[in-house]
Amino acid sequence: MGFFFQELVNGVTTGALYSLVALGFSMVYGVLKLLNFAHGDLYMVGAYIGFFVIQWFGGGSALTIPVPLLLLIMFVLAAGLVGGLGVAIERFAYRPLRDAPRIAPLITAIGISFFLENAALLLFGAQFRVYNTADFISLSSGITIGSVTIDSVQIMVLVLGLLLTVGLRELVNRTKLGKQMRAVAADREAAEMMGINVNFTIAATFFLGSALAGVAGVMGGLLFNQVTPTIGFIVGLKAFTAAVVGGIGSLPGAMLGGLLIGVAESMITGYISSTYTNLFVFALLIVVMLVRPSGLLGRAQLQKV
Amino acid sequence: MSLDSPPPPAGPPAGPPAGPQVGADEWVARQEHRREYLPSWLGRAQRQAERVGWWPRLALAGLAAAALPLFGLGGFQLQVGIDALVIALLAVGLNITVGWTGLLDLGYVAFFGFGAYGFALVSSGQVGANGIHLPSYLSIPLVMIGAGVLGLLVGLPSRRLVGDYLAIVTLFFGEAFVEFTNNVAPATLGGPNGIVGIDPISVFGHQITSNAGYYYLLVIVLVVTMAVLRLLEFSRTGRAWRAVREDPLAAGSMTIPVDRVKLMAFAFGAAVAALAGTIFAAQQISVFPTDFDTPILILVYAGLILGGAGSIAGAATGALLVMVIYDGLLRSPADSGYLFYGLILLTLLVKLRPWRRLGLVLAATVALGFAAHAIAAAISARAVAGGPASTGWVATALRDWVIVPANATVAGNYGFVALVCLLIALVQAGPRARTILLPPALYLASFVWETRLVTEPAVTRQLLIGAILIVMMNARPQGLLGARRVEALT
Amino acid sequence: MKASVIVAATALGALAVAGCGSSSNSSTASGATKSCVASIGMEGPLTGPVAVLGQEQLHFAELAASMDNTANKTKISIVQGDTQLNPAQATTVTQQFTSNSKIVAVVGPAGSQEVEAVGPLMARAGLPFISGSATAAVLTTGKYPTFFRVVSKDSVQGPQDARYIITNLHPKALMIVDDQEAYSTGLVAAMTPIFKAAGIKVDHQSVSQKLTDFSSLVAKVTPATTVVVLPWQVASNAQQFGRNLAQQHKNAVIFGTDGLFSPGTFSINGSYVSSFGPDITAIPADASIAAAAKSKYGNFGTFGPPVFAATHVADEAIASVCKAGQTPSRANVLAAIKKTSEPASILGQPISFTTTGDVVNGKFFLFKIDSTGKYNLIPG
Repeated sequence: MGFFFQELVNGVTTGALYSLVALGFSMVYGVLKLLNFAHGDLYMVGAYIGFFVIQWFGGGSALTIPVPLLLLIMFVLAAGLVGGLGVAIERFAYRPLRDAPRIAPLITAIGISFFLENAALLLFGAQFRVYNTADFISLSSGITIGSVTIDSVQIMVLVLGLLLTVGLRELVNRTKLGKQMRAVAADREAAEMMGINVNFTIAATFFLGSALAGVAGVMGGLLFNQVTPTIGFIVGLKAFTAAVVGGIGSLPGAMLGGLLIGVAESMITGYISSTYTNLFVFALLIVVMLVRPSGLLGRAQLQKV
Repeated sequence: MSLDSPPPPAGPPAGPPAGPQVGADEWVARQEHRREYLPSWLGRAQRQAERVGWWPRLALAGLAAAALPLFGLGGFQLQVGIDALVIALLAVGLNITVGWTGLLDLGYVAFFGFGAYGFALVSSGQVGANGIHLPSYLSIPLVMIGAGVLGLLVGLPSRRLVGDYLAIVTLFFGEAFVEFTNNVAPATLGGPNGIVGIDPISVFGHQITSNAGYYYLLVIVLVVTMAVLRLLEFSRTGRAWRAVREDPLAAGSMTIPVDRVKLMAFAFGAAVAALAGTIFAAQQISVFPTDFDTPILILVYAGLILGGAGSIAGAATGALLVMVIYDGLLRSPADSGYLFYGLILLTLLVKLRPWRRLGLVLAATVALGFAAHAIAAAISARAVAGGPASTGWVATALRDWVIVPANATVAGNYGFVALVCLLIALVQAGPRARTILLPPALYLASFVWETRLVTEPAVTRQLLIGAILIVMMNARPQGLLGARRVEALT
Repeated sequence: MKASVIVAATALGALAVAGCGSSSNSSTASGATKSCVASIGMEGPLTGPVAVLGQEQLHFAELAASMDNTANKTKISIVQGDTQLNPAQATTVTQQFTSNSKIVAVVGPAGSQEVEAVGPLMARAGLPFISGSATAAVLTTGKYPTFFRVVSKDSVQGPQDARYIITNLHPKALMIVDDQEAYSTGLVAAMTPIFKAAGIKVDHQSVSQKLTDFSSLVAKVTPATTVVVLPWQVASNAQQFGRNLAQQHKNAVIFGTDGLFSPGTFSINGSYVSSFGPDITAIPADASIAAAAKSKYGNFGTFGPPVFAATHVADEAIASVCKAGQTPSRANVLAAIKKTSEPASILGQPISFTTTGDVVNGKFFLFKIDSTGKYNLIPG
């Protein structure tokens, strides 16, 4: 029984990470109907930023500032810088393609992904950059219930993930900006005619989505310790999967999709075998898609005739 | 002397109506229904060229491609040509599913892999004591039919799933294929070690073993496939595919069997991919699971969309262009340099008007360079100790112009970041600011190239292909030979 | 198309043609033909998920070339080719090298699958190629007459390590995890039967190299499992595995192979690492090389030094050809490499090759990591 809960904890933690990235992905899709393949690379940039912040303040074992302050700076800086990068990418690469066929920005996104990954390779080198979280957040801190250990980093990831998701939901449902986002997502031309500044709204959406990816990057660095230029690709793929399986455009769906993938991976590794984990996860997701063709929480799309 | 006044010179036709007009259909009015022709004899030549039909153009392209090796192409260029032709064949097949039927198939590489592995299993020593060594004229059609069946199976979800949901399921299938061939049944499928020792393809009793042979085979196969697909394009099936892409509901109301049409799109696409796979396997003499992973998918999509999805010629042209640049030109540092400087100059020539402004910017860049170099040399000898890392006449020309410090790496890195920021600023700026920002930006670009990018050709290759994709999609979103389409997004 | 584009394209074409013409001229018109000028191709995963390995190999190859150029007064340059550990790309890169007549030897490719893919090409072109990391046993069965390697093969390392584990660590149950690459699965295939024959319960798992989180896998480590064997290529992943072990309070000891040898990256106290290369920082003769590598490129692991050795073999072969008064060509460099007999190399042992390309008496070195992260050689 303890084994089940341990795998559950592991799965929910990784799932929380995937859902954060999936949330950003889903937001951008909702507003622009754009599959942003460069989203995973924003996660990677966030992870690097977190690493350099640690190095700036003395490195893992010789920190010059207290750990909570370090974490705060890492998260805020990653969110801000990666958000800004996202806005710049939108302005530079996606805005000219707003009226192009939907398949065109796909290639631009791929181009940006190539560019970001290899710019990181050029600037930071191929060596793995390691957070060494254990140096400043002790491995023995955390809670142990029976045979189930939950690390403090895992707790932080879960709590932060929950807070961000709830905060995002409140933003989208209660604030004026959220209303603008929903309006632009529903019908861009009509929103423009209603006096909404579409460019600003889209930029804000990109900022938020990218900031989420950046924060997820720092969390990933703390959890998994290693940062290389190519970590973003897999995470981006899983986020894309989570967003679609949960129902594209639906924020709670993205979260649910992420959790589902994380837990499925964990359980299948634990109970069957790690060799076939991916195959079984794919099979599971295909079944989910066939049972619910618009995703778990997606609304069936109305077709205009 | 004729009293008739000469006909007015045939200038470019009148532009589109300026803005909405009462009584005129705005949607129609916004369409790009007229073409711009070049003035004078160039325009006449252009109009003449357009009157050449599709079939003569295909024949000409095929002959040109076949004649290319006669200009003395070495083993490497032939290999690049073979890689490019394989990707072009894949793009032409993908065009059926994505371009004509509008189904986003992200698992297409799996059919390619199926074709390759299928051929590898039946035409090598892998299965059984001595292996099955089926002759090519049996194994290739067999594998293609098998792939067609597989395509039907993969297409089954398309009955219930649309758009991005279908994309995800096909993506799973593509990933699952790589996992499957890597981890399942290692004795038969070879696991990560793949299958080696595949028989060459034999055509009319003659075995093809050289690169040149496979090149010609691929040219012939590509031309024949494009011809067959062209016939298909204007058949009932082709029209049904296009109808399903535009509006599945309306197509269904017009008694088109939408589900069956979608399945056929998958099946045909899979068969073409399998054909490409068999030739790939025979040419490489070995297959490995990593040969069929996402990077190949990205290349095929890039080629298809850059060339124009929906057009057979576009798919082939785009794929050939992408592969020749990515696999051929960018692999050699010297050619990369020419491509880099050449593309910058080309962009300036096309985008910077009038000519006086262009001359001003270029002159300012050159002057700025010499000045900066002189100042840097005066300040510190170390700052200009290194020479430009390019080879050949470019390096000699740039020696006294570009600053290359002795320890170039760190400076180059900062320069790279500064260049990216400057480029973003350039795109947002107005014309005046742009003219002022261009010379420093050009100089910085040359600086970064000479210090960092030339010394790491592998990374530069990826950077450049990414930049090329971004710029080309911005310049022409519908692709080189694509037609502008208006999509109604619900 | 606009006129400007046509004009520009013609100009660009003229530029390229002029450039191509003049650059090839200038290279053949280069100066003294007395000095020994040649090129060595280097194939490796320079970008992509395992770029860290390929870049390390490239750095050591360049270091070897520059040190040998100073020592032998030669002008050997390294031409890089990026394969991304993909056999089809390796084929293209090899075609590029075989078409380049200045390249007389190749160092690499890194993966055994790549060697299988390019072996016939290299043989046809008569181009010798020396790998520093392709360890599959099938490569040296005579199929590839121009293939050499400076490291020993899986069929030796696997059983050696397995026997050590059985006799010294006495596990009742162990977990062995491969990373779905040929190198890893080869070792697992060599070790598992020996464990099973000794009556040890073996749990065989398999993860992708791209996986960075092992908490779900670690949760499967039972209390009776005292040894976890990780024949992986990426040391950093193993370090994370170790962290997950500590986090979940598991007591298993990690036994790793060459890929894990990376002081500074993999430093889990009490772990064992079996490597085809020694710790060059502990070999006094290699002090200058280690220092140069560290100052220029930072931390390095186990994939760099063998490539240094391979490049050195090629450099020495070219130098000996020049000393005999001939111009380096593929044929005479191949012959010279076959006759290689280095009494000492960076790997701390002599290098000479068998008729099928294996290194003679290739050794494996076993290390144990202590609490300071230092790698202590276990004698014998």
